[in-house]
Amino acid sequence: MRRIHGGGGGGVGFKWSFNLLKQKLIQSGRNTNHWNRTSILQSPIPKPCSRSYSTESQMQLSPNLITIMEQRLSAIEHRSACLENFMNQPEASPAEFSRANKELRKLRGSMELITYLRTKQKEIDGLRSLMAECPEDKDMLDMANEELSQVMEEEKRLQNLLLKSLLPRDDADERDCILEVRAGSGGEEASLFAMDIFKMYERFSQNNGWKFEVVDITESDSKGYKEASAAISGADVFGKLKFESGVHRVQRVPVTEKLGRVHTSAVSVAILPQADEVDVQLRNEQLRIDTYRSGGSGGQHANTTNSAVRITHLPTGITVSIQDERSQHMNKSKALKVLCAKLYELERSRLHTSRSRLRSEQIGSGDRSERIRTYNFPQGRVTDHRVGITHHAINDVMQGESLDVFIDALLLQQEMDAIASFGSIE
Amino acid sequence: MLRISLDDLYQLWKQRIEDRRPFQYIVGCEHWRDLVLSVQEGVLIPRPETELIVDLVSDAVSNNEELGQGLWADLGTGSGAVAIGISKILRIHGGVIATDLSPHAVSVAMFNVQRYGLQHVIEVRRGSWFEPLKDVEGQLVGIVSNPPYIPSDNISGLQAEVGRHEPRLALDGGASGMDYLLHLCNGAAAMLKPGGFFAFETNGEKQCKFLVDYMQNQIAGSFCNLNILSDFAGIQRFVTGFRQ
Repeated sequence: MRRIHGGGGGGVGFKWSFNLLKQKLIQSGRNTNHWNRTSILQSPIPKPCSRSYSTESQMQLSPNLITIMEQRLSAIEHRSACLENFMNQPEASPAEFSRANKELRKLRGSMELITYLRTKQKEIDGLRSLMAECPEDKDMLDMANEELSQVMEEEKRLQNLLLKSLLPRDDADERDCILEVRAGSGGEEASLFAMDIFKMYERFSQNNGWKFEVVDITESDSKGYKEASAAISGADVFGKLKFESGVHRVQRVPVTEKLGRVHTSAVSVAILPQADEVDVQLRNEQLRIDTYRSGGSGGQHANTTNSAVRITHLPTGITVSIQDERSQHMNKSKALKVLCAKLYELERSRLHTSRSRLRSEQIGSGDRSERIRTYNFPQGRVTDHRVGITHHAINDVMQGESLDVFIDALLLQQEMDAIASFGSIE
Repeated sequence: MLRISLDDLYQLWKQRIEDRRPFQYIVGCEHWRDLVLSVQEGVLIPRPETELIVDLVSDAVSNNEELGQGLWADLGTGSGAVAIGISKILRIHGGVIATDLSPHAVSVAMFNVQRYGLQHVIEVRRGSWFEPLKDVEGQLVGIVSNPPYIPSDNISGLQAEVGRHEPRLALDGGASGMDYLLHLCNGAAAMLKPGGFFAFETNGEKQCKFLVDYMQNQIAGSFCNLNILSDFAGIQRFVTGFRQ
């Protein structure tokens, strides 16, 4: 995975206008180096006890944020103590006991870190009082100072880890996804660009070592794609691709254009987290499955090579047809996969609207009609409108090589937004 | 560029269009569930409807672990499709004996079993229905079958691909189409362990209902939890149940 590296920005050729970075909530440890924050670009967020961070790239948390976090930490300590106390009571019923135990287990990761943080904070206090007691012993002061800076660095590291572990996470990030690309306004040219975009994701998936399986393609007259979908699976697929949902606009001279005029057309992309039947609680009686048949008795009476399957989800009326696999069974299982993803997405967006956090509005509503990116071929640039980043090597992007430029920035923004709203939750 | 000459290709085309030779015989295989099975003249081309038998077995096994560890039989296995399909559901200690009267079917089934490396799970035996199974009487945990069920009168009116090319032995179920289904019901009572499961494919609603009625009344006390299940076209296609 390519990363955005501090200081190298100009050399790689993108232009930053990343307003959110200027948010006062986080003050970079080094003012000249806005991008020295590779640590928070890493996903998935590591377990609280992992130590994968170099102290160099620690960001300085604002005092404001530390106060909020301190409150949260004491609340966790308090809750954890209460639970342990409760579990030691003999009168707790087995159900209560197991519920408390479960909650305690959830807090355990944070608690380990907090305990560790507390010992470091005690060390800091100890060192400070030591320095106050003997202000004239130069050697002692130097030693204490050196140790103090080490311990404080460690404190900072722990605070960063804790902050990360407290930020809300999207459970779907680790899931596989279904990619849907649809040609929008712009006729045949839009369908050609839909094909280009679809192939861009195919290459991007290959570069990431993900599996890219075409589910269905509807071709247009000019051999572009009116509609195409694929199942992408691998590590953190949805977490990385979720920001791709939305309208992608293209400006270029279509191959069909005789006068050399630049046309603008659009393609819409949807990224649905993949769900299994358990997630959406699919019941057989809610499904109608249609197969090709010429009428008649079927079974041993008939010979057919048509294995197309159409599944209708009766409660929502969603239908999925799959015909590119060679057996009915395979078409059915593919159709079910797509249906599950659609239903899961429906449920997610329902939950999402009902929560309606500030965060979601900042990242982009996930609304499919929102224009998120422009691919301008004459100028050889791609601009992401949500983070205001322009990348000047459009061919690399279309080859699925530079997409990380945008994805990393969006992940960073997501994290910063989460931090911004950290204090406002509850 | 072509793997066969244009003349040969033309011959195949003629066979398909003029003789109505099934596409699956021409290419020598059929895609069935997640399998690619070798088929040839003399062996029934496995039907998409029959794919569901594997799902029925899968449901039964997931409700009762013991079924996954015992011995199953696929009677009239043809290409071996159902036997191979269900063998993937079984756990260790589970196995399938696949029988067929036709030597063509036996050799094709053996070939398919070997292609999927399942020789240690599936044993193919030649013989009529339960005859080759005398040594395991009362020991089976499951029986599945897609026996010939088309009434003899209907054979001449079948789709040309079926009637002119597929083996009558695998299609013709006697005057009512029920000859072998009834034979299977009677045999299953003796062959299955108590709690054992069976799933049979039938010609449709009439045969399903007849079979259920037969098992409830004529051989009452042998089977329980009888169930009729439809295929995707909504035709009542399968009868399932358990040995009491």
